[in-house]
Amino acid sequence: MLPEFELLMPRTLPEALEMMNESSRVIPLAGGTSLLVDLRGRISRPQMLINIGGLDELRGVRVEEGYVVVGSAVTIADLKHNVLIAKHGQVLQQATRVFANPLVRNRATIGGNLAYGSPAADAAPPLLVLDAEVELTCKDAKRTVPLKEFITGVRETVRHPRELVTAIRWPILPEGSVGVFHKLGLRKADAISVLSIAVMLHRKNTEDYAQVRIALGAVAPTPIRVTPAEELLSGGPLTPEVIARAAQLASESTHAISDIRGSAAYRKRVITALVKRLLTNLAEGTKEKKHNESEGYHS
Amino acid sequence: MTVKGKTLPQVDLPPLRQVGRPLRRVDALGKAVGATIYAGDFTMPNMLHGKVFRSSEPSACIKQLDVNKARALPGVACVLTADDLPDGKLITDMPGQTGQERRKGSDAPVLAARRVRFVGEPIALVAAETLAIAQQALELIKIEYEPLPGVFDPLEAMKPGAPVIHVPDNIVSSWKIRKGNTEAGLAAADLIVQNTFRVPFLDHAYIEPEAGVAWVDDQDVINIRVCTQVVEHFRSIAQAVGVPHNKVHVRGTMIGGGFGGKEDITVEIFLALLTKETRRPVRLAYTREESILAHSKRHPFIITHRTGVKKNGRITGAEIKMISDSGAYPYLSPYVLLYATVTSCGPYRIENLKVDSVSVATNNPFTSAFRGFGGAQAAVAYEQQMDEMAKALAMDPLEFRKINYLKTGDSNAIGQEIKSAVWLEEEAMQALAALGEKETISDDAIKVGQGFATTMQSYGRIMWFHDTSRSWVGIEQDGTVVVRCGAPDLGAGQANSLCQIAAEVLGVSLTDVTFYNSDSAVTPLAGTTTATRQLYMSGNATLKAARMVREVLLDHAAEHFKKEPSNLDLADNKVFIKSDPEQWLSLADLSKMCAADGLKLQHLALFRAPFTDKLNPENLQGDVFPDFTFSAHAIEVAVDTKTGEITVLKSVGCHDVGRAINPIAVEGQIQGGSAQGIGYALMEEVQVKDGVTRTPSLSEYLIPTAKDLPTTKAIILESGTGVGPFGAKGIGEPALTPAAPAVANAVANAIGVRIHDLPLTPQRVLAAVDRAKKG
Ligand SMILES: Cc1cc2nc3c(=O)[nH]c(=O)nc-3n(C[C@H](O)[C@H](O)[C@H](O)COP(=O)(O)OP(=O)(O)OC[C@H]3O[C@@H](n4cnc5c(N)ncnc54)[C@H](O)[C@@H]3O)c2cc1C
Repeated sequence: MLPEFELLMPRTLPEALEMMNESSRVIPLAGGTSLLVDLRGRISRPQMLINIGGLDELRGVRVEEGYVVVGSAVTIADLKHNVLIAKHGQVLQQATRVFANPLVRNRATIGGNLAYGSPAADAAPPLLVLDAEVELTCKDAKRTVPLKEFITGVRETVRHPRELVTAIRWPILPEGSVGVFHKLGLRKADAISVLSIAVMLHRKNTEDYAQVRIALGAVAPTPIRVTPAEELLSGGPLTPEVIARAAQLASESTHAISDIRGSAAYRKRVITALVKRLLTNLAEGTKEKKHNESEGYHS
Repeated sequence: MTVKGKTLPQVDLPPLRQVGRPLRRVDALGKAVGATIYAGDFTMPNMLHGKVFRSSEPSACIKQLDVNKARALPGVACVLTADDLPDGKLITDMPGQTGQERRKGSDAPVLAARRVRFVGEPIALVAAETLAIAQQALELIKIEYEPLPGVFDPLEAMKPGAPVIHVPDNIVSSWKIRKGNTEAGLAAADLIVQNTFRVPFLDHAYIEPEAGVAWVDDQDVINIRVCTQVVEHFRSIAQAVGVPHNKVHVRGTMIGGGFGGKEDITVEIFLALLTKETRRPVRLAYTREESILAHSKRHPFIITHRTGVKKNGRITGAEIKMISDSGAYPYLSPYVLLYATVTSCGPYRIENLKVDSVSVATNNPFTSAFRGFGGAQAAVAYEQQMDEMAKALAMDPLEFRKINYLKTGDSNAIGQEIKSAVWLEEEAMQALAALGEKETISDDAIKVGQGFATTMQSYGRIMWFHDTSRSWVGIEQDGTVVVRCGAPDLGAGQANSLCQIAAEVLGVSLTDVTFYNSDSAVTPLAGTTTATRQLYMSGNATLKAARMVREVLLDHAAEHFKKEPSNLDLADNKVFIKSDPEQWLSLADLSKMCAADGLKLQHLALFRAPFTDKLNPENLQGDVFPDFTFSAHAIEVAVDTKTGEITVLKSVGCHDVGRAINPIAVEGQIQGGSAQGIGYALMEEVQVKDGVTRTPSLSEYLIPTAKDLPTTKAIILESGTGVGPFGAKGIGEPALTPAAPAVANAVANAIGVRIHDLPLTPQRVLAAVDRAKKG
């Protein structure tokens, strides 16, 4: 049963920011797919919620000054079908297909996914390898924080209570970039990730130059970029040997957690295996094998 | 796999008109359009809302319980604790039926008084004007515990000095089989294979959490509308609240799944107590989280097989040990253990057999009935053991099984003769043939494997329970038919089958039949919807009642046509002369004629299962179940050896159901059983640590989604040899039993090494792959 709370219904973003400014105890409600679960479970008991899910200013995906800009209230289902995302954020779109279930995807927002600060947020690893930034707005100011710095711990972010996440943006990828996302869950749909991984490979025209970004979800207290492995790989050719070493390094440099979904040792094993597999597949220019591709429901 | 061997035996079943057809179930439309009303949907004027205050401790003394603040909260109608109950303590650990014994002193109290033994144990009840007030009242209850040492592992609980859950010791029940000379049997073997298998706690995860509404009527009868598999709990409820049996009336609703979890009493006594106290209607409905906390779990088992076998594949002897965790209160643990014991060695002829099984109390969640009822746990072990033996002998798993399969006329582990058809070999072959060739996947990391399991699962209750069922069939004056039978409908089509039987016998179509069921006072008592017994028991009772009506109709028609009744038949809403079908009379006219003559067009029939005496627990010998369903399931999986992920590629269930009363309903059972079995094998586990459930919601307790399941191909065989109506056997539980071990065998086949514990999580798969590499 939901506890009682007051619900503010702003009609515009400025109105919302005004309301947020009045008290630091007003909690944003977007899709509610995390927040309402917590309310029902009495994990949090806010007195006052503000419904921002319907604000037009937080909707829409556009390309602007070399950036892809996604409004924070854009739903996962929207992203799954969006043509701009298909073009400029394919790695993110892969994640939307294995995200939750069709019902949740229709309500869950990208802003809520990041603002909740879950280590298992499935949008985070793709956005990390896209070098995304989070736009935070309060009544009188706006700032942009790299996603890498936005989530600071389990359910902790740098967001100030009077700020809203208003957009997520990332620089348009150079030609020759390919990304891949893989989610490992204990079942094939509607599962909290045991581990999620996104890899982005950018190649110049030559075979000998590659730049690689790797991000992991659900293995550490926050979604993380795997910098040591990225550094090892960047600039050189992607030989099987270097991929294997990077995969090993990715695992070794990660302080993996243990929980009911899997042990730290298991997670470390799989990091090695998946970094190697995804990089190899990308390097070979092949798509992931059919068996592992999780296509998600068509909705 | 290429499959050679027996072809299907030819069976000539008598032709039928309604039975055997895939008719749309009588309950289908209501569900499809949302017209079916479930227990949680009911409200009443002036209704209160109930809530249960539960223990947060697995093992503790209640030092102080203070409900005064809760009682004083405006809007609270009553707060009940153990002190307010008629005699403080009383509940049954058995569905209230005949001939059952309970171990003294270990019954669960309705509300815990001084001692709590598991997390979630009920301590106090609240009824309030609104759910919010009831919830608030719960938060005002003050309790002080003094923690006591607990025990959370059945192996620990058996050791001397372990904390005792119920005096005198933690042994809840034990059964033994001593057949032939096991020592000599094992000594004669060329090879001995020993393995220990473990299966976890499971939640039933039915779609409908427990719910009900209760009120006291003008005759002072406590009425309880509730989703239950057992309306006959009314007796135990009456006893618990201190009223005569005829002052409790359970009105069962259509059930949104039960799988054994609604076999024990759930909300009924709480509702009865609250409505009795307040004299107002009360509603109590669990959330999913409370449901997981409150109802029983499937028993975890530790099963060790030590089997001796000759090089030629003949089993010479087996020693089997079974340990189950009964949790904090016994409930049905002794009987679950009995089922497991009787089928411990599977559908195989083993002359020298020694089985020791024991169920042990712990401070874990209590365990009780779950589809398969011990038989499913036993099958997980014996079918994996069979594959391991075949592997050790370098024999094909089916060839090896063929040498040892039981045959009709053989006697099983406890010397009960199997009288019905045993088509295990045929079923395995059908299932494997339908599975076809392995898919090829061009990635070295992905290994594809196939496996199967063949199992036996009883249908009908333990015969020393002296089971009975009643059903009433009547024909109206317009020729339509009414069936009244107390059988609760779990959603599996129990009521539909009874209707289809009545339609067959009375020559009407299924749409001409209306049913009333699941009411402890108004419909004839038909026993529990458990133990795969309703088709067998109430099907036979309905058949009998319908035949009595038919006889009246035919006798009267015989006079009319001046023919012998045997020359007449009923079909298409008519009675006609067999040799001259043009001569007919409508059933409506015939019924009116019978009514005018004062004939009895409504009959109540009683069906009695064979009765036996209780067997000797020190050495089970004799008949214990009316019959068995024999089944096969085949599975193909792909295993990612780098991540441990398993994908089920193909699934085939093949079952001799004797006679399919409604083939789509049978297929529904096979599909559902298979899904549940695949979940059992791959992901389902209630993780319990120090008595605390770490999977308290469906976010952590995972059941398969559509994406985890291939469509199971259902192959329905009909030997016509069952003891149910028209030769039917049961399919409810048997549908599940072979699926989990088939998955386990397919995975072992894929990765070349056995994982002994379910579920087969990615983590366990990787560990096994590592072991295989190390050789
Ligand atoms: C059945 C189920 C399955 C799920 N499966 C997945 C899954 O596969 N992968 C996954 O990553 N997640 C999953 N989730 C979690 C959840 O759906 C997602 O994290 C979702 O993106 C949250 O977005 P929301 O809009 O619903 O956020 P809400 O629940 O509305 O909010 C979440 C948090 O973010 C804050 N917030 C929201 N928007 C803003 C904003 N614009 N500015 C500041 N703060 C804000 C809220 O105050 C709250 O603290 C699942 C949830 C459910 C119920």
